[in-house]
Amino acid sequence: MLWRTLQTLLWAVGVLGILGAIWYFAEVTRPWVGPVLIVLAVIYAVNLTVMPSWRYRVHRWETTDDAVYTLTGWITHKWQIVPISRIQSIDTEIGPLQRMLGIATITVTTASSDGNIEIEGVGVADAETTVDRLREITAATVGDAT
Amino acid sequence: MTSVEQEWRRLSVRVVHLGLIRLAMSSVSGYLGVTLRDDPVWPLLAGAAFGLLGAVGDLVRWQTTRFRITADVVEMRTGWIARKHRTVGRDRIRSVDSSARLIPRLLGLRTVHIGSGETESSFKLDALDKAGAESVQRELRADAPVARPGPATTGPAAATGAESDISEMSPTESGSLAEPGDLAEPAEESIARLRRSWIWLNALGAEAPFTLIAMVFTLHWALRPFGVDLFAAIRGLSGHLVLLTVLALLAIPVAFAVRAVSFVVDNWRFELVRSGGTLITRHGLFTTKTVQRSDARTRGIAFAEPLLTRRLGVTTTKLLLTGSAAGEGGGDILPRIRLPEARDLAARILPDGARPLEAPLRRHPRGALVRRIGWSLYTPALLAGALLPFPLPGWVWPLPLLLIPVTVPLAVVAYRSLGHTVHGDYLVVRDGALTRKTVALQNRAVIGWSLEQSLWQRWAGRMTVGVATAAGSRHYVSPDMGADQALALIAEATPHLADAIIDREVSAC
Repeated sequence: MLWRTLQTLLWAVGVLGILGAIWYFAEVTRPWVGPVLIVLAVIYAVNLTVMPSWRYRVHRWETTDDAVYTLTGWITHKWQIVPISRIQSIDTEIGPLQRMLGIATITVTTASSDGNIEIEGVGVADAETTVDRLREITAATVGDAT
Repeated sequence: MTSVEQEWRRLSVRVVHLGLIRLAMSSVSGYLGVTLRDDPVWPLLAGAAFGLLGAVGDLVRWQTTRFRITADVVEMRTGWIARKHRTVGRDRIRSVDSSARLIPRLLGLRTVHIGSGETESSFKLDALDKAGAESVQRELRADAPVARPGPATTGPAAATGAESDISEMSPTESGSLAEPGDLAEPAEESIARLRRSWIWLNALGAEAPFTLIAMVFTLHWALRPFGVDLFAAIRGLSGHLVLLTVLALLAIPVAFAVRAVSFVVDNWRFELVRSGGTLITRHGLFTTKTVQRSDARTRGIAFAEPLLTRRLGVTTTKLLLTGSAAGEGGGDILPRIRLPEARDLAARILPDGARPLEAPLRRHPRGALVRRIGWSLYTPALLAGALLPFPLPGWVWPLPLLLIPVTVPLAVVAYRSLGHTVHGDYLVVRDGALTRKTVALQNRAVIGWSLEQSLWQRWAGRMTVGVATAAGSRHYVSPDMGADQALALIAEATPHLADAIIDREVSAC
């Protein structure tokens, strides 16, 4: 949750900073960039205050012996289900920010690029045990994953 | 020679002839480019330069390319400055297609594309002679037994054929190469052939204006080097409204005629046959194309019906195949034809002869209609609102509101096209406003599900169901299903997954 807040903060600073700079330096564009800037500022404010905790409350994931499930989102909820027999690869990713906070992202890849599942913000130790377990189950399950 | 160590084969020697012809053509156009007018005609010169480069490339490619097909892998070595050696397992090969442009075809050359689902591991053999291409296609056919003694018997035949092709330059001799007697062609069952009525179905269509515009632009750029400026001519006519209207009216039938001609050129002698476990399409007047699709890769079939010709019941047919990259064609199996005809053909195209696309569909809840009409009203309104703060002339911002009379009927059309069902082994979903797409996917091809609910959908108990699959465009969506409908659908299509999902669904809500 903290991770998402930080991430959003960085994005907000980046995007608003660039647009602000354009607004400040290029006077011709002011009437055009101005309204966009205001709207974006409002959106980011909401994102910063509400979105991370909301997402955290919604976020659920589970791996069983036959499938991986996730529930993500805040305004729009999204359930994803992938049976173990269709998993092609499992990746763990830890970015610099995530390393600071001791969390990881697990990505479960299938033969369909839209069937991939991302589990964000899992504790590193948890992530490792999950990935190991999934690897064992996948290895034990027959199927060509398509 | 053993069956393990296969001879390396080369491309057809006629690639060299092709290179020489290109060389001659480009020097003629270069000559014209320099001498035609006082100052050089740059497009012609550029064409000549490209031709020259292409010809040299052809020669180098012929000189350096070697390939071989062994019992388990296909290998190709190519390249002059950077040498490339590519090996792909035969069980990974998904398609072996061939095509030929006009001049190579006159020389009896065919380009063979060996696809394995990814561009990095695909081959393009440009070019083999006709018999060689056919033998490669036959050897690599998905249903051909991989472990047959074939490589040992056909390999030498084809290899010696290639050698004789190199030593004897006469085209009549090489015509007789590679006649593997043991690879008898399986009997072909014809499914469809080009019919005259298809031509006008494909000529009509909303795309006609774009054809027209493209035509004008091409003409403009083609005439430009000769000092004719078409755009200036049109601008000069702007005073004469009547003349312009007459020209535009004349242009419409011309556009349709051009589309008809281009369709005929593309689909000349179109035929779709089943040979063993493989569907083969062949078509083309100047550029011929042969595409093979193995039944083992077929996971379903889809219709796409454009709105403007819905009344005529016109549809294109796509085959959903696994192992072809998402963007890589392969799917379009039939041109635009009438729906009843397409349905009959679809039943013959599918290996199991099922007719899932005709199954009666379950309607989505009324709320989906309300949502769509809501979208059609507030999207233009929001657009108009968004334009307000900008310094535009006062008449600009209400313009999006003019779209409402168009968007509301579209919303109704979009709602009416929503539908889903499970029919035998197939999961069927339909949606789309401008193009109504009906997709029938085999249940076993369903990789996973994704269920999405926005805030409003949660309140109304509807959800958008996404089906992940390895075939076709990888992801098919059926928006705004009732929640109970969605669960029923999942339970019918993938019974083994359903129980667990429903448990979690209940606990999460």
